[in-house]
Amino acid sequence: MIYIAIAAYLLAFVTSMLAFIIRLFATNMLFRRIGRILYLFGWVLYLFGRILYLFGFAFAVFAYGYRWYDVRHVPLQNLFEVFLCLGMICYPVSWFCRRVLHVGGRCSDMLIGAIVLFPAGFIFNAQPQRLPPALQSWLFVPHVAVYALSYIFMAKAALQAVRQLAGQASNPDEELLPPEEATYRMICVGFPLLTLGLILGSWWGKLAWGDYWGWDPKELWSLASWLVYVGYFHFRYMFGTKRSRINSAWAIIGMLVIVITLLWVNLSQLFPGLHSYAT
Amino acid sequence: MNRFKRAVLWIGLALIILLIFMSVYGAFIGAGRAKSFFNSLPLSIYWITLILLLIVGILVFRRLISIPGLLFIHAGCVLILAGAVWGSQAGHKMQKKIFGIDKIPVGQMAIFEGESENRVALENDDEVRELPFYLKLKDFRIEYYKPEYLYIQNRGGKSWRIPVEINTEFSLGDNIGTVRIVRKFENFKIKIEGDNRVPYDDPQPGSNPALEVEIQSPDGQIATNYVFERFPGHIHAEDRFLLSYKRVISDYISELQIIRNDEVVAEKNIEVNHPFHFGGYHFYQHSYDDQAGQYTILMVVSDTGVTIVYAGYLMLCVGVFWHFWLRHIFKAKKADGD
Repeated sequence: MIYIAIAAYLLAFVTSMLAFIIRLFATNMLFRRIGRILYLFGWVLYLFGRILYLFGFAFAVFAYGYRWYDVRHVPLQNLFEVFLCLGMICYPVSWFCRRVLHVGGRCSDMLIGAIVLFPAGFIFNAQPQRLPPALQSWLFVPHVAVYALSYIFMAKAALQAVRQLAGQASNPDEELLPPEEATYRMICVGFPLLTLGLILGSWWGKLAWGDYWGWDPKELWSLASWLVYVGYFHFRYMFGTKRSRINSAWAIIGMLVIVITLLWVNLSQLFPGLHSYAT
Repeated sequence: MNRFKRAVLWIGLALIILLIFMSVYGAFIGAGRAKSFFNSLPLSIYWITLILLLIVGILVFRRLISIPGLLFIHAGCVLILAGAVWGSQAGHKMQKKIFGIDKIPVGQMAIFEGESENRVALENDDEVRELPFYLKLKDFRIEYYKPEYLYIQNRGGKSWRIPVEINTEFSLGDNIGTVRIVRKFENFKIKIEGDNRVPYDDPQPGSNPALEVEIQSPDGQIATNYVFERFPGHIHAEDRFLLSYKRVISDYISELQIIRNDEVVAEKNIEVNHPFHFGGYHFYQHSYDDQAGQYTILMVVSDTGVTIVYAGYLMLCVGVFWHFWLRHIFKAKKADGD
C-alpha cells in the first residue's frame, strides 16, 4: 500500500509538472488552434495529476489505518509510523493551505508526500512493537501529532522560501500569495504547533522522567529548531520584507534543523539519549 | 524605531542566535555534560540577561503590551526562565540562604518491600538527606503484555511465534512436528531427588522466568527443553531448534504508603507517567531490583518552580495560538459579519 501511495504521489507530481509545462507552452504558441488543443490536453493531464494525488492519499490513509489495526495503538511510535503519518497528512494540509490560506505549491506537496513516504517504504524498520511504559501516556499522541503537522507546514514554508530565493517574486495564480508572504503565513501557522509540541513534550518529560527539561540531544535540537523560527520572526519584524532573501534563509535553515531533529538525532550514534527508542 | 529599541532588538536577536548554537553544542556533548554546561556560571549570567532583556523589551516596546498575544508570549518566556532558575540547584541554594527553605532538589531512594524509608541519596554528591515523612513500599511488581511468546527457529532458518498457553499443542508443519508448553516458571530452580534433577518454581525471593517445552517430532519422539528468558539464544549442538522466551514489560508499579508520625496519611501506586506529589516533592518510578524484584528505586524531585514554569507554558501557548491563529480567525469572522 505504501509503495502504491509513493508511486501515485510521484506520478501525480510528474503529470502535474508536465501539465504545467504544456499549458505554459500552449499559451505562448503561435498557432492558436494547436495551442488550444494542447492547452486542453494540459488541462486533462492536470486533472489526472490531481486524481492521482487523491488516489495516493487514499492509499496512505488505508496503509495508516491498517497499521493502526495491526499494532493496536495510534501508530506514531517510531520513525516508520511517523513518516507514514507525514505522508498521509500532506494531502489535507496541501488542500487546507490552498483553500484557506491561499498558499500554493500543490506540485511540490506531491513531491513532499513521495519523499516522506520513501523512507517508510524502503528504509525504516516496520516491525510492530508494543508501547514501552514511558510511551503509555495520553500526551504521546498529541505531542507527536502536533509536531508532525507543524513539520509539514514548515516544509511547505521552506519550499516557498526556496521559490523566493530562486527569484520568483509573485505567484502566477493571482489568488495565491507571493512566495515571501506565503513563507511567512506558513510559519505563522506552523509555529504555534511547534510550540505546542515542545511544551507537551516538556510536560510529558516531567510526568515520565521527573524533569520538564532533560538536556537530551533530541530536546536540544527541537529547541534549536523552535529558536530558529523565533529568530525569523524577530528578524522579519526588524527588517520587514526589505531583506526578504535573509528571511527565506531563516525558513530554510529552520527546516534543515527540523530534519536533523527528526532524523539525524534518532538514527545517528552521535546522539544517544532518552528518545533513542523512537528509531 | 529609536536607537535604544533597535539595540534591544539586536541584543535579543544575538541572544537567540547564541542559544541556537549553544543548543546544537549541547546536543553533541550529551545530556549529562549539557546539563552541567547549561547550569554553569557563565550560562547562569546568560539566562539572567535573557530574562532581563525580555522584561526590558516588554517595558520598552508598546506593541508588546498593546497586543495581548505578544505580551503573553514574552511574559510566558519570562515565567518559564524564572521558574527554571528558581527550581534549579542554584535556586535551591539561594532559597536556603535567603529564606531558610531547605529542600532536597533531586535525589533517589531505594525501598525494600514491606519496609519504610525516608533517606534520599542526592543526585550530585554522596550526601544522604532525610524527608520529613516515611514512604513504605507495600509491593513492587512488573506487569507484562499478554500474551507472552515463545520464539522457535529451526536450523533451516524458518521461525515461529507461539503464544504461551499451557498444554496447548501447536503444529510446526507436517514434516517438523508439534510443540507444547508444559509449565511456566517465575523463579526456575533445580533440586536433586535421588538420581534425578527436578525443576521447580521457587517461591523464595528471586526471578528466573522459564518455560518447559516439549517438542514432538513426526516419528513420535519427544524432546523436553527449558527455555530461560535471561538466556535468549542458548542452544546445544544436538538441538534441532533455537528457542527464546520473550516478555515485553507493560508497566512497573510501586504500591506506596506515606507515613507521618506513625500514621498512614496517603496511599498511592506509582507507575511510569503517574508520579505522586506529596509534601513539596514529586516521586517517580525510576528503577528496580532487576535480579529479585525486592526493592524499588524512586526519584525524588522538589516541586519548587514547577508551577511558575507551567504558568509560563500556559501563557506561551495561549499567546502563540491567539496571536498567530485565533485573532485572525475572529478578525475574518468579524469582517464577514460586517
